[in-house]
Amino acid sequence: MTFSPGFLEVLIYGSLVWCAVSGIGLAVMLLRDGKSGEIW
Amino acid sequence: MTESKVFLDPTVGWILLAAFSALWIGLGIYWGRRNKSFEDHALAGRNVGLALGTATAAATWITSNTTMLAPQFALQLGIWGMLAYSTAAFGLMLFAPMAKRIRQLMPNGYTSGDFFRLRYGRVAWAIFLVFTLFYSLTWLVSMAMAGGILLEALAGIDYVWGMSVILGVCVIYTMRGGLTAVIGTDFIQSLVIIVGIAVTGFAVLQNVSVAEIHANLTATKPALLDVLFPAAIMAIFNNLLFGLGEVFHNNVWWSRAFAFRDSVASKAFLLGGLVWLPIPVAAGFIALASGALGVAVPSADMVGPLVVAEVLGTMGAVAIFIVVFCSLASSIDSLLAATSDLVTEDIWRRLMHPQASVETLKKAAQWITLGLGLLTWLVCLPRIGTLATVLFFAGPLVGSMIWPIVAGLYWRRANTAGAVGAMVLGAGVGLFCYFAIGWYVATLIATAVSMIWVLGATALGKSRFDWTVLKEDA
Repeated sequence: MTFSPGFLEVLIYGSLVWCAVSGIGLAVMLLRDGKSGEIW
Repeated sequence: MTESKVFLDPTVGWILLAAFSALWIGLGIYWGRRNKSFEDHALAGRNVGLALGTATAAATWITSNTTMLAPQFALQLGIWGMLAYSTAAFGLMLFAPMAKRIRQLMPNGYTSGDFFRLRYGRVAWAIFLVFTLFYSLTWLVSMAMAGGILLEALAGIDYVWGMSVILGVCVIYTMRGGLTAVIGTDFIQSLVIIVGIAVTGFAVLQNVSVAEIHANLTATKPALLDVLFPAAIMAIFNNLLFGLGEVFHNNVWWSRAFAFRDSVASKAFLLGGLVWLPIPVAAGFIALASGALGVAVPSADMVGPLVVAEVLGTMGAVAIFIVVFCSLASSIDSLLAATSDLVTEDIWRRLMHPQASVETLKKAAQWITLGLGLLTWLVCLPRIGTLATVLFFAGPLVGSMIWPIVAGLYWRRANTAGAVGAMVLGAGVGLFCYFAIGWYVATLIATAVSMIWVLGATALGKSRFDWTVLKEDA
């Protein structure tokens, strides 16, 4: 039994999109913390 | 390692090294001006917000192993190899509720050593210090050594120069800025790494489709797609437990739990784990594409940079160099800060100078950071190059500490006999199995023995721990 091409596709693209979203999320969180004076 | 292949012009490598070194040192000095006391230096004022907290949890866990070893895991263990590596994220996620508990129980705590001393007494504390310092120093040396080796392989920068520069830069900004500088630079480093990996991954997929990768693997290396690949499935348990043990015991993570604002400690570790989770797959799949792209891989440990440089040319090599440099710095600085704080608080202060003022403690922490850096540099100079084995050797020590920590945080009946016995027996039996059977079972067995001992001692224990003991005055 092997992993299917569809599973591999979801796994790879899902990971890359997840990374991109994480990067954006971190930047947004920093801006939000900055606006409320809660960075440090 | 490839013998002569260099991915980047050494001049470009030196320019990148100089630019990032100047940036980290400049930021370290700038942020270091905020620090007035040991508490500021070691714990960034105990008021770190969610964004920086999340980023530092993720960045510290992204070592050069994550970006370099994940492709090697994929090449040797296939899809399960990447997924096994990703399970290390559960260490961060499961530490999230513990971080909240630690903040509640120890509002004035500094280190994980404080917990062992107050919760289980001096014998358990001493054993813990031996185990954790062995592990932390091994990790620190292996990272600095990896820095020299990788910079030489990527850009032809001489090993001693590359290792010295990356270690020296981290020592300078950690000494000057303490945990504030470490957490601040971690934010930038985490963004660079995450964006770099995502952009590189999408760029590689412009040259080869996932269907082509799958077809090539089916034809040439079907085992890498096997759902029931035994070696890879065993790697899942080893990685998972190693990750749990490392995060649960190490002062790298405890110092962050103390440093994060009370309301964000738990969330930051959970989100940090989620940020980290996809990285081994995103960085690792590139190795699976090597066959479909027709890239020859003479050495598995350099497969990631090899594929990226072959497919994306100089820009790809620049991206890999920056990602690797940031991965190394984000781990080395955290280890330097956390280990020097542990030595300062648990040895210099508690054993030698109990009356030291906060200013003196801060100065001591800075000198200890420098001393630690010099010691690491001296150990790294001969380029031993086999420290991965020593890190695996530390697995049973790390695994044996999981249960004493978890039980000690949540159960009043957990006691000293349980903690000491669990660490000594767990590590002893685990190390015996390391030599008698193999590295892949050592952590698992150490954790199991430790668990049985802790559960037995707790069930039989008559004492009830007073939680207020942990609220020791700073």
